[in-house]
Parts: sequence; C-alpha cells; structure tokens
Amino acid sequence: MLARRIKPVALQARKIYVKLMMEVVGRSLQAISDLDPSIREETRVLPDGFLFEMTVMPHGPALVMQKLPKGRLRYCGEKGPEAADLSIRFKHIAHAFRVLSFQEKTSEAFAYDRMLVDGDIGYALRMTRVLNRLEAFILPKLLAERAVKEYPGNLGLSEKLLQAARIYLQVASQFLATVKLA
Amino acid sequence: MNTRYYEFFCPVKVIAGQAALEHIPFELSSRAASRPMIITDKGVRGAGLLEPVISACEESDQEIVAIYDDVPPDSSTDVVRAIAAIYRQEKCDSIIAIGGGSAIDTAKAVNILVSEGGDDIAAYAGAGVLKRPLKPFFVLPTTAGTGSEVTSVAVIADTRKQVKLPYSSPFLLPDVAVIDPRMTLTLPPHITAATAMDAMTHATEAFTCLQKNPLSDAYAAAAVRKISDNLLKVMDNPKDSEGRLELAQASTMAGIAFSNSMVGLVHSLGHSVGALCHLPHGVCMSLLLPYVLEFNLERIREPLGELLLHLAGPDVYALTPKAQRAEESIATIRKLRDELHKRCNLPRTLKETGKVEESQLDRIAEMALDDGSIMFNPREVSLADARAVLQNAWG
Repeated sequence: MLARRIKPVALQARKIYVKLMMEVVGRSLQAISDLDPSIREETRVLPDGFLFEMTVMPHGPALVMQKLPKGRLRYCGEKGPEAADLSIRFKHIAHAFRVLSFQEKTSEAFAYDRMLVDGDIGYALRMTRVLNRLEAFILPKLLAERAVKEYPGNLGLSEKLLQAARIYLQVASQFLATVKLA
Repeated sequence: MNTRYYEFFCPVKVIAGQAALEHIPFELSSRAASRPMIITDKGVRGAGLLEPVISACEESDQEIVAIYDDVPPDSSTDVVRAIAAIYRQEKCDSIIAIGGGSAIDTAKAVNILVSEGGDDIAAYAGAGVLKRPLKPFFVLPTTAGTGSEVTSVAVIADTRKQVKLPYSSPFLLPDVAVIDPRMTLTLPPHITAATAMDAMTHATEAFTCLQKNPLSDAYAAAAVRKISDNLLKVMDNPKDSEGRLELAQASTMAGIAFSNSMVGLVHSLGHSVGALCHLPHGVCMSLLLPYVLEFNLERIREPLGELLLHLAGPDVYALTPKAQRAEESIATIRKLRDELHKRCNLPRTLKETGKVEESQLDRIAEMALDDGSIMFNPREVSLADARAVLQNAWG
C-alpha cells in the first residue's frame, strides 16, 4: 500500500530532478562557452543562430541552446525561437535520469540506444564533446569519471577548481537574474 | 565491458550456399513479386555475373523485366531518380541488387522512391523517416566485404549540393540476401583481400567497441574465424568455391554483427582517408586496423584477447598466456596483412598506398572527429590522439 503511494512521488521527483538538471546544464553551457576557449573552438563551426536541443520524449523536459557569434552559446530555456537544427532526444525520462544522475555515461547512453539524434551527426558529436568537457569541469572527479568516457588527463586540479568556480558563479548570477525578472 | 542493455535486429532471410541463385524465383513468388528489376553496374555485367542469375530465373519462367547496369562507383540522387523512372515505366514490382556497396546502396534508395512515391530522394534522408515496408528487395553481393546486404543504411551523394545524404531505417533492410559462391568466384585478388579485410574490421570492431552485445559477439567471432581460416587459401586458389562461400558468409555475418553493435575509430579514420585520398574502403580498413587496436588496447584487452582463439586457432590460443593474448591478436592480424602484401601488394601503411600525403594527416584527423562511429570507440579520441594513430599508420 505504502509502496503504491510512494511510487508516483518518486516518479515525480525524478522528473523534477531531470528538469532541474537540464536547466543547470543549459546555464552551465552558456557560462563555459564564455569562459573556455576550447569549447568555443568546438562550437565556432556551427552556423550562427544554430539551435541545439536536448529533450526527453514525448513532452520534455528539454534544454535549448543557441549558437551566437564567436562560438558562444545562449541558453534559451525549454523552448527555442524556432524548430531546433539538432535534437538529441532521450527515449524515456528514465534514460535521461540515468545519464543526468551519472549512472550512465553519455557515450553508453548512445551505445544502449537510449537517445535519438536528429540532425547533423558531426554537430551532435561536437555538442557531446562540449557536454563532456563541461562535466569534467563542474563535477567532482569521481562523479565526472562516471559521466564521461575518459576523464581528461591534462586537466589539473587548480584549473578545474578555478574554472568550476567561475562557471558556478555565472550560473548563480543567471538564476538570480531570472528570479529578479520573475 | 559489461553490456547493460542492447538491441539486436536482423529480419533478412539469408539464402546461402551452392545453387542459392536458383532459389530466387521461389522467394520472389512467395512475396507476390513477378516483375523484378535488376540494379547493377558495368563491372558486374562485364564479369558475366548476371548470366547465372537470369538463367536461374528463366528456367523457372521468372521474367526479369528491366536491367539497369550503369550504377557508378559513387552513386548520386540523379542516378537514383533515373532508375526509379525506369522501374515505374516498366511496371516493376520488386528489386534485385547485384554488386558491391554502391549498387546495393543505390537500390536501397531506388526502393524508397518507388515505394514512397515522388522524385526527391533527399526528402527521405535521415534516420527513421520511413514508416512502412518497401517493395520486395533482394540483394546478391558480389564482393565479400561490405555486409550491405544486411545493413539498414545507405549513403547517396547529392552532386548538386555537394553533400552525402545518409539514409537509415529498418525498412531499408533487404527481404532476402542471396550468398552464392558463383558471385564472388571471379573477384580479383586485390579486391578479394581488401574486402575480406573490410569484413575482418567490421567483425573486430563489432567485438571490441562500446555497443558490443552477446548476439553481435557470436556473429563477429564466427566471421573472424571464417576469414582467418579461408582468406589465404582463397588468395592461393581463387577458384576455391568453398573458400569463397566461407568468405561471403563471413562478410554477411560481420555485417549482421556491426549493424547491431556499430564500429569505432578504424572506421572514423578510414572514412576520412577514403574521402580525402580516394582510397578504397577495404584498403583503409586493412591498413588502419592494427594501429587503432594498439591505441585502444588497454580498454579492449579482454575481448581482443578472446578473439585470438578465432584469429589464430585453439593451439596458439592455448599456448599464449592470457595476459599476452590481446597483443598476440594484433600480431596475428599484422602477419595476415604481411601475407596479403606478399600476394597482392595490399598496402599496410598509408605511405605504401602511394595516394596519401603526410601533409594530409592533420585534415584526416580533424574529419575523423566528426564521424559518427567515433562515438562507439571504447576510448575517447582527441585530435592529438587521432593524429598520433595516423602518424603510426604512416609507415
């Protein structure tokens, strides 16, 4: 009886967690594209205005990023101004949760057919590398190793901490700005 | 590498062995098809490979309504449109593709147009666009390497827009793959070697990359065994019909394996070398395979060590300490390449191809990072890593 009551709450909590993580990832992507030249090196080949979405089938949650000039990314929220040029879609909220709670690496999720790519595969690979680099910066090493295929060997502790602090600061200010506007 | 989840799908009816061609009329009639069109290329026709197919059909009063024999090595949307027009004009109701990768991919694209309607094949590009079964589709591979007879993908060039259009759908899978030793008996030594090494690479990557699973492993291991046992025999005796059949089956099995487990860095680099330097795909696979295995070694030590049983046989496997089996697998592949080089000059390094400039390696590495197969490579690959593998393969 109790289990029956708890299950919907757990499912709801999972959905809220995925939604929150999507927003954190979106805002962090915007921040890291401002701060890290190697991220901009990856994204600069995308056409300006290019819209990338990561979403969960059938109705979200989602995050949409827009490519700005000079390789910068802008977090658009859950919906973009128009249809995305590139979509990475989780087939189920459970799959998104596994990736966003670091139980499964992004590369594993692709290998296990948890996600569909709609759009240029080369661009999808670039965005995956961007996400991996972001995770390497913002997650503790133990967690990051579970999230990415290979933790970058050349990422020193001081660089990681400094960059992570800058990213979190920017994300926090973005959240604050949103709250003030609301 | 534990597989926590996998998907496996192969609904293709495989008809393999002696007198397999003679089963085509029955298989057509069992799919209510009576007006087949053959799609092939000039090389296949010139090699006399259409005669046994046509003869097998005529003996059973099965008419071949139309033959298109002008598929170019790099097929295009224009070619697809032209063939679809002939199909409609001749009121065909099924397709028999005879050839290598290009003829088969072209036939897959023609099948989309004649089944879905219209003239714009670009409209169906991408993954999962097709939503229903297409016309009855038979494939007779004439090379033992691509595995296209059991894959659900095709690539067609849009020459006007200068882009390659990818198509991916389970509905692109043929209904029937016919593996008859007569179709590969006249394959020249160089192509026999390169295409067999293509199949070897499909199987090896299927067995060692991220999407490997128990079912694809079974097909991949069996394919490696068949190629290891038969390739040099066929190189020494090209008329060895049984050996040819074994290689053709190995190619199909490797195709089933990799289409359910994907491939890795050998293909990412190989696609880029092929595109930039115009080298045949099988040659690229053969020359890059050991260098990529060395790069991936610490991540694939266990499965690569297991492959030694199929590459070198039970005696070598039993005599090799477990800790050295992965290295011995690579050494066995190198020995096989040396033997092929002796017999038909199949290049073992980029330099030996005579078609690659060292100055192109940077561009090749850059392109490889955008190739979809890199996602399934067991190791993360940076630009510097890809460049280093290419430098090792340079020679």
